Amino acid sequence: MRRTILFVIGGLLVGGIIHVAIVFLVPYYAGKDAYSAIGRMGSDGQFHLLPMAEAGAEAMPATDPHFMEAVCRFDLHGGPIRVLAAMPDEFWSVAVFDKLSRNVYSLTDRAVDGSNLDLALLTSVQNAQMRQNPPESLNTAIVLELPIDAGFIVLRALVPDDSLRPAVTAALAAAQCSASL
Amino acid sequence: MRFLIDLVIAVAVAVVVGVGSAWYAVGQGHLFGAVTVGDWTAWPNDGTLDADPYALARIARTGEVPLGAGEGLVFTATTDDSGAPLASRCAYTIAGETPAARLWTLTATDSDGRLMPNLAHRQGFHSREIVRSANGDFVITAAASVQPGNWLPVGDSPTFDLVFRLYDTPLATGSQLSTLSMPTIRKAHCP
Repeated sequence: MRRTILFVIGGLLVGGIIHVAIVFLVPYYAGKDAYSAIGRMGSDGQFHLLPMAEAGAEAMPATDPHFMEAVCRFDLHGGPIRVLAAMPDEFWSVAVFDKLSRNVYSLTDRAVDGSNLDLALLTSVQNAQMRQNPPESLNTAIVLELPIDAGFIVLRALVPDDSLRPAVTAALAAAQCSASL
Repeated sequence: MRFLIDLVIAVAVAVVVGVGSAWYAVGQGHLFGAVTVGDWTAWPNDGTLDADPYALARIARTGEVPLGAGEGLVFTATTDDSGAPLASRCAYTIAGETPAARLWTLTATDSDGRLMPNLAHRQGFHSREIVRSANGDFVITAAASVQPGNWLPVGDSPTFDLVFRLYDTPLATGSQLSTLSMPTIRKAHCP
């Protein structure tokens, strides 16, 4: 009997280890996570326009139904990238996430002069190299030195009412995710 | 033989406890970092680099994309001001002050966070389309049946959640959350 109790205690300890292992491994093997889901929408390096969330048809869960979104996976291994978009005059925001959907950078239209989004995404090494011979385009772009080298970008634009939907759709559809610097 | 039986017991305990508790905790996901203001709760650390492993696992399983700190903050309510779950057969009024933000949206979802089909094809309101009284106050009525004024339709799931998203708000970047004034959710009537 004593021996069985010892085995049960041992089982509980191993159970604790299994618990920790599962919790830490889920983000890497979930398959339904945003980074994998965007990968299934099409090729990396370009924005994919998501249909606005409606009951029974949500391209991504927990999306604000008042917003239209475009998502893009990026990879800085091939060099820095530039994100360009002529956004509508209404509220919009842009956010950069790592592969585990952790936000590393975000801003709203208020941080930008006018409504043109112009971001340069680079790693710290690329930034240091760039500084030695800065291209013209860096004068106008918002330069983001990222702690990651791959992830995804989300553009969100408010659609205040249905009459503005075509304009927002056109703006997001024309957004560029991997323009060169 | 006794050893084998003990070993089987130990393995069974390990698997049931380990997998079961991990399943529960990841499904729950909201174990740490909740900020509660009135009827509303936010998890400002979810989706940041400081997110705990349970929040990371939950977000990976649902596939949702959180709002960035510079974008805004999401509050969720599952109960009214008396603490009772929000029932679709009742009518609720949502009124009061809203925190400083350039824009907010209020959305009704089912208890799994999915949008609910309804005949009015309305999922929520944003702060600029809402009908306000002369002094700027507003009242939103969440109910399954048609209501005058700002009617927020709810679908036929037995209970529902309210999601209040604040965009471009100073709160998201760390001012005190507990001193906020959020709208109250009051039960108006129940058939």
